[in-house]
Amino acid sequence: MNKNRDDLIAGLTEELAPVRSFSERDGMTLVVVAAVATFLGVLAIEGLWIGAFQGEAAPFFWVTNGLLLLLGLASAGAVIAMASPGVGNRHDAPKWSFAMLGVLPLAALSSVVSHDAGIGALNDDAALHCLSASLIAAAAIGGALTMWLRRGAPVSQQAAGWFTGIAAGAIGTLLYGFSCPVDSVTHLGIWHVVPVAVAAIAGRLILPKLIAW
Amino acid sequence: MIAEEATFVRLMAAAQRGDKSAYNVLLSEVSMWLERYFRKRVPPHQQDDLVQDVLMAVHNKRATYDVSRPFLPWLAAIARYRWVDHLRKVYKHESDLLEDNDASVDSDEDVVEARVSLERLFVHLADAQAEAIELVKIEGHSIREASEMTGQSESLVKVNIHRGLKKLASIVEKAE
Repeated sequence: MNKNRDDLIAGLTEELAPVRSFSERDGMTLVVVAAVATFLGVLAIEGLWIGAFQGEAAPFFWVTNGLLLLLGLASAGAVIAMASPGVGNRHDAPKWSFAMLGVLPLAALSSVVSHDAGIGALNDDAALHCLSASLIAAAAIGGALTMWLRRGAPVSQQAAGWFTGIAAGAIGTLLYGFSCPVDSVTHLGIWHVVPVAVAAIAGRLILPKLIAW
Repeated sequence: MIAEEATFVRLMAAAQRGDKSAYNVLLSEVSMWLERYFRKRVPPHQQDDLVQDVLMAVHNKRATYDVSRPFLPWLAAIARYRWVDHLRKVYKHESDLLEDNDASVDSDEDVVEARVSLERLFVHLADAQAEAIELVKIEGHSIREASEMTGQSESLVKVNIHRGLKKLASIVEKAE
């Protein structure tokens, strides 16, 4: 071994300090804190749609939010695991969950086509508000996951960008969704899924530069 | 003799607790492992820089190692990541012969190393991409020389390098 390397090893050894080994539980705690803060923000600004908990919501409301929850958990779990790299690690769960969520817009389109309502039925008064509010709600989750990845050593940075965007979009839309009383198939199938896709693209474009090391 | 997986795990766990003597041994062993790891894919005169770069990364990111999991896949992921980064940066108009290292893969330890090796990454590249990266980024030929050697146009060599490096960056953790 050459002298430069010996010197480097000696230097690194000298500055060694104890560190706490990464724990996925810490990452989950961070996401839960961000989610609670977001939910409180939604409650304060938008209010909760109480009717959903009094049996007024259509079944599709719960199906949509259930799928968003699964997608959010799967993606956030993958992102948290990505902070600790390893050859052989696989992160397939978010892909399947995202594919499952894709059923919702298909259901919305089928609903429009089968009822002769025309493509205009896909738009409604709440559409843009739901899109923008969901993306704002996604910001805290996205920020928490980005912070986690920056502390870690992600080596699959494009995938980390996609999954962070998907996780933030899914959890943000889910949390905002509890304030939205529009529970039609067309509204939920389009305007509570589009934010996830937008956040995913944003994550893919923005994140790799932020988490490179 | 380079340490085995169980020894690496024990040394790294001690290092995370702040044990300097264990850390010194760990870095020396990691250094030897990396030398062997990069032998076929990095020209000799660049190996030392790359090994030192990975040692720094190991030091800075040592908290990201989870002691309940194997050490070598973690180390290999960091080594691959830094290697792809190195390939992006390096461009030298010189050619160095790489050491021939065709040692047979027979022990359990070698099987683990083969699974995390750099060779496994090249399998996922198109032949033209692997060839362009090999000639220009690893052996140090110029774009023009690579073009003449492969029959690809100069533009195609550049495109194949660009696409190949992008692909390598996306499969750092791939084991199959």
